[in-house]
Amino acid sequence: MTPRWKFLLAGGLIFVVLAAAIYFPILRRRVKRTAKLQQQSEEQARRELTQSVVINPGDPRVKTKLFWASDTIDSTLVPVTVELPLSNDPVLRSKQVLNTLLAGPVDVELRTLPPDALLLAFYLLPDGTAIADFSEALATSIPSGIVSEQLAVNSITRTLEANVPQVQRLKILIHGQEMETLAGHLDLTGTFVVSTKAASPAASDTPAAPISGALTPDKTPGRLAQPEHGP
Amino acid sequence: MASFGAQVQTAGLSIVVLDAAHGGTDPGARGTGGIRESEIVLDFAIQVRRALELQGFQVVQTRQGNENPSFDDRSATANAQRGAVFVTLHISSTGMQGTARVYVNSDLTLVADSNGLIPWDRAQGPFLGLSKTFGDLVQRFLAQRFKGSPEAAQTASVRQLRTTAAPAIAVEISSVTVEDRADLDRMAPGVADAIARGAAAFKPSYVVSNTPGALP
Repeated sequence: MTPRWKFLLAGGLIFVVLAAAIYFPILRRRVKRTAKLQQQSEEQARRELTQSVVINPGDPRVKTKLFWASDTIDSTLVPVTVELPLSNDPVLRSKQVLNTLLAGPVDVELRTLPPDALLLAFYLLPDGTAIADFSEALATSIPSGIVSEQLAVNSITRTLEANVPQVQRLKILIHGQEMETLAGHLDLTGTFVVSTKAASPAASDTPAAPISGALTPDKTPGRLAQPEHGP
Repeated sequence: MASFGAQVQTAGLSIVVLDAAHGGTDPGARGTGGIRESEIVLDFAIQVRRALELQGFQVVQTRQGNENPSFDDRSATANAQRGAVFVTLHISSTGMQGTARVYVNSDLTLVADSNGLIPWDRAQGPFLGLSKTFGDLVQRFLAQRFKGSPEAAQTASVRQLRTTAAPAIAVEISSVTVEDRADLDRMAPGVADAIARGAAAFKPSYVVSNTPGALP
């Protein structure tokens, strides 16, 4: 090989190394951006799916009990009665009441769930076990602690118990995954008992009679949900 | 599986396994003033330990520094002891300032095979009754010290308690949102005294086999 070719070859190699040094960081940024966009698209798709379950004004208006924090008794729940058009289908109905629960009360101090948490999916098995899949914000934005985590889960289970008699137990997933705890304390590996009464399909077909007035807080404090670990 | 062998002899309560929650990469609840649950519970544990030792108990801690053993590792520390109860210490993010709550685990379905083996993930099941008795005693002493605290222990599905094969309670103090950490530090002697007196009062109720992790 002549010195001229050696020079050209060395020059070519240096060019390739320099080009790679410049291009690889750009490529890495693009890959990261694509992954982020993909994640955002997935979240966006989930949001759109979630938002498609909206209150249908054509549904019969039903007295609906939503459990938020009490403003008088520390760390307890009180039912707030609102009149909402709710579907007779237990899955749609569950999504409607949970989305309303997530939207929160007028007084933000009485929230039990983080404002940015979303219900991503809801399933109901034939045995009455419901599976609610929430966005990561439910776990990451909730104040850490036994009392706050238990209050959050209780507000969900009690709201389902009061409005969807078909739901007997509840399994909570975070972004499609089973988590060991909600935010470091409350056990999410089992299911929570929602109702010990037998499922009554007839009840779902006969919504409660509409009542006048909205946002009527009852005085009964909430009670703790009992988790259940199946065999 | 946790092994629960033949119950021949009984053992009295002599050990308290003390668990300062969180630690290491997990700071637990965080207050706006930089207060970290993992640090405060460790300081509380020192005072609780002293109070328990004054009552004649041997104390085993699941962590003594800024480590974060897994839930199962912490339970394993308790399950290896004979004649022990388990106390996990927490500071909440919410709740009325200056109050303290005791939690015992909610009902767990009891499943045991013909050899008396209980699944590890439901090890607390056979001890729920004793846990409630122990929890009520500690809560009663806490309520005397800290106004606004409940009079009886509450139930919650606390992950740490589920795998513990001993009478087990969680004590949660409110809260990390105090403006001055000294407000929490001032609660430590009262919390320590209530736990120690609760454990001493619980002694006569504690009757289990002397096998480590044995059924009550």
